[in-house]
Amino acid sequence: MKNLFSKILRFWRGEKMANYWKTLRYSLYVILHPFDGFWDLSHEKRGSLAAANTIVIAALLTNLWDMRFASFMFNNTRWERVNILMVILGVLVPLVIWVTANWSLTTLMDGKGKLKDIYIATAYAFTPYVIIAFPMIFISNIITYEEGVFYTYFNVFALIWCVMLILAGMMMVHDYGFAKGIISSLLSVAGMAIIIFIVLLFFSLVSDAFAYFVSLFKEISFRF
Amino acid sequence: MRAKRIVVFLLLACLLVSTLQMAAASDWYTYSYNFWKEEVESPDAYSVTNTLFGADWEEVGNFKDPQGLFCVGDSVFVCDTGNNRIVEFIRKDGAYEFVRIIYSVNVSKNMVDALQVKGNITLTLNNPMDIFVMPMTAEQREEAFGTDYIGDPYEVQLPEKEEEPGEGNEEGTPGENGDETPEENGDEAPEENGDEVPEGGADESVGSSSEEDTDEGSDGEGSDGDGEGSDGDGEGSDGEGEGADGEGSDGNGEGSEDSAPIEYKENVIGQDLNLDYDFYIADYKNNRVLHCDYNMNVIGVIANPKDDTLSEKYEFLPGKLVVDTAFRLYVQATGINSGLMEFDKSGDFTSYVGANKVEANIVEKIWRKIQTQEQKNRTVQFVPTEYNNLSLDSKGFIYVTTHTLDDDDIWAGTATPVRKLNSMGSDILVRNGNAYPIGDLTWGTANEISGASRFIDVIAFNNDTYACLDRMRGRIFVYDFQGNMLYAFGNVGMLSGRFVFPAAMDNPDEETILVLDQRSGGITEFSMTNYGRLINKALDEYKVGKYDDSADTWKEVLKFNGNNELAYVGIGRALLRNNQYKEAMGYFKVARDEVNYSKAFRHYREEVVEQYIGYALAILAVLIIVPKVVRRVKKLRKEIREA
Repeated sequence: MKNLFSKILRFWRGEKMANYWKTLRYSLYVILHPFDGFWDLSHEKRGSLAAANTIVIAALLTNLWDMRFASFMFNNTRWERVNILMVILGVLVPLVIWVTANWSLTTLMDGKGKLKDIYIATAYAFTPYVIIAFPMIFISNIITYEEGVFYTYFNVFALIWCVMLILAGMMMVHDYGFAKGIISSLLSVAGMAIIIFIVLLFFSLVSDAFAYFVSLFKEISFRF
Repeated sequence: MRAKRIVVFLLLACLLVSTLQMAAASDWYTYSYNFWKEEVESPDAYSVTNTLFGADWEEVGNFKDPQGLFCVGDSVFVCDTGNNRIVEFIRKDGAYEFVRIIYSVNVSKNMVDALQVKGNITLTLNNPMDIFVMPMTAEQREEAFGTDYIGDPYEVQLPEKEEEPGEGNEEGTPGENGDETPEENGDEAPEENGDEVPEGGADESVGSSSEEDTDEGSDGEGSDGDGEGSDGDGEGSDGEGEGADGEGSDGNGEGSEDSAPIEYKENVIGQDLNLDYDFYIADYKNNRVLHCDYNMNVIGVIANPKDDTLSEKYEFLPGKLVVDTAFRLYVQATGINSGLMEFDKSGDFTSYVGANKVEANIVEKIWRKIQTQEQKNRTVQFVPTEYNNLSLDSKGFIYVTTHTLDDDDIWAGTATPVRKLNSMGSDILVRNGNAYPIGDLTWGTANEISGASRFIDVIAFNNDTYACLDRMRGRIFVYDFQGNMLYAFGNVGMLSGRFVFPAAMDNPDEETILVLDQRSGGITEFSMTNYGRLINKALDEYKVGKYDDSADTWKEVLKFNGNNELAYVGIGRALLRNNQYKEAMGYFKVARDEVNYSKAFRHYREEVVEQYIGYALAILAVLIIVPKVVRRVKKLRKEIREA
């Protein structure tokens, strides 16, 4: 027991943990100095996968807590109809598709970023959402309906900030100029749509094929 | 590994294929909508207490295509449009007694000219669509309209045939009747059908002689013939009144209709009541509104409105009408889409009231910019919609309904199926409810029944609640003065309390509603239950400022129906007025009433801040002062040590 505790303590004080905190703290720098920050994030290795994961998880939790604890005036969640898994996937799946689509495209467009870099940059861009939306959950409970514009405004502001950061991040990660950065991002969105379309197509085909064999089996089993 | 992949794909599919949830058609007879716009069960606010058919009285016989219903005092008037007559009943202790059948009017010799229709002096009613009855004593009448109308009666030159009072129920075979009902039934969409009777007539008759008019009318009937076989329902419904078929006028009309107008018939008098009433009858196919006293002596005829906006060929087809206390007549006329036609006391057309505004949206405007002239001509014009019914409330405001509206516009609130017009003609209906007063909020689709509710009639009660009759799903929606839906009830069908094709409704008193079914020819009487009374009581108490009583009544309502969100708001309001903010917040939260919750919360927040501001300031002070003191002390000690 004591051994375990000292192990944890050593890990906590160790190199890895220090690096983790450093990289996580770096997200605050990134959101305020996007160009400089994202450049160093990928090229100087000042970000880490662990920190990126943390930010994504924090964003997921913020999303969930907002649904659960924000005042009913600004929150139309019907918990009897919510599937938490779906809420989580609602954030994760677009993220994964975005990263995939962006990577697929930028490899063809001379992008310098690796898949990992894209993911980390995107994840770091979520930081303003966590920082702003999380306190807004509490604030929503001490404001009236008329003051609700603040709540809405801040949340929208956070999202706009996030989008700007993603654009800046993509520019820096792939070493693109402004125009190319925006174009590649827009194309990535189109790529997302294509990926979704193909997945759906695949699904319907598979289910059709499956249904075909099921009916075939049924026909045969009825006959004999 | 593969299993994992499948699971991931399944999850993806669930996520990406957004499923549109369509609420099923209501499972309950009476229901209301909750905050989420879902139907929730409600106790019956009205229950069926009586169902009347024309055939319940031997003298009357089945109604054919009745379209108008009017209640005043104890009297009930039914416009039996298809039989060209108006039937009067009287309510006595909940039972209905036959009074008379009005086929024609009497006229003094000096009034005869006013009754000319296409060259003939026509005393008979031809497709009366609506009747408005105004209580008026002889003195009042004399004061308002003079005595010009009194004089020697004009004698009708009857053809050889002697009319007997009992005529009506001897003619017509059951078979004929069975054929005829489905004819009206056979149309594709219910919404169009109701109009077909008047509109068909309107289109054809503009600028044509009476011969053509009737010709095409019968044509229409012929083309509908395929409905005969397919629609077994219609026959079934009619079977109930098969014993006495009152197809009198139309039975022999079939052949002779082409050439001659409806033959003159004496009114059938069952009881002579001689009440102090004045009648305004929308004599649809005779293109006039008749103003008569109780004994059907014509006082005035309103016809041939003259105005610059009306073309020479315009044929006046009055559908529904009301008359206000200043004897101004408001008519909803077929083919008029500029609102209601207003006539003054002397019967002259004065103006349109409550015209619908036509607003092209941006897309349409841009589209029109880039269209060629030819394309423009081909595209459908943005025509303002016609009203289909109107009703006068106790304060003189006119409620109107429209049914030719776009579903999307209705949902978005840009189209308003029910309106309350002030004397300027602007819509002053309060729409503060969770949803707009548009009837059903979930539009389940089943065969021909789809889309938004189609209001066909509206009645306003004295406490400013109003009820709208939906022809699409045979429902009645009742709203309070703020536009909150109180309850809705009814359905399509043959059972008691359901309608095949409702056409009109009216309320003989504040707790009774009569609904006229055009197809089945039945009148359903609804009486208010205790639940409905409690809601009305609570609303009334709130209106006069008895907030505590109102809250108590709402609590009673909650015992009947825990789903009633208005009750929670009502209780919350009373608590709010008693400065019980926290409790009020609880009630408002249940009903998800953001605005009232905020009102309560603002006060509650103030209270809390006032209560704890002292502590907060103290803590703040301590936080500021303590470090300073500590630093001072440390400094002092250091100095002392160093000294």
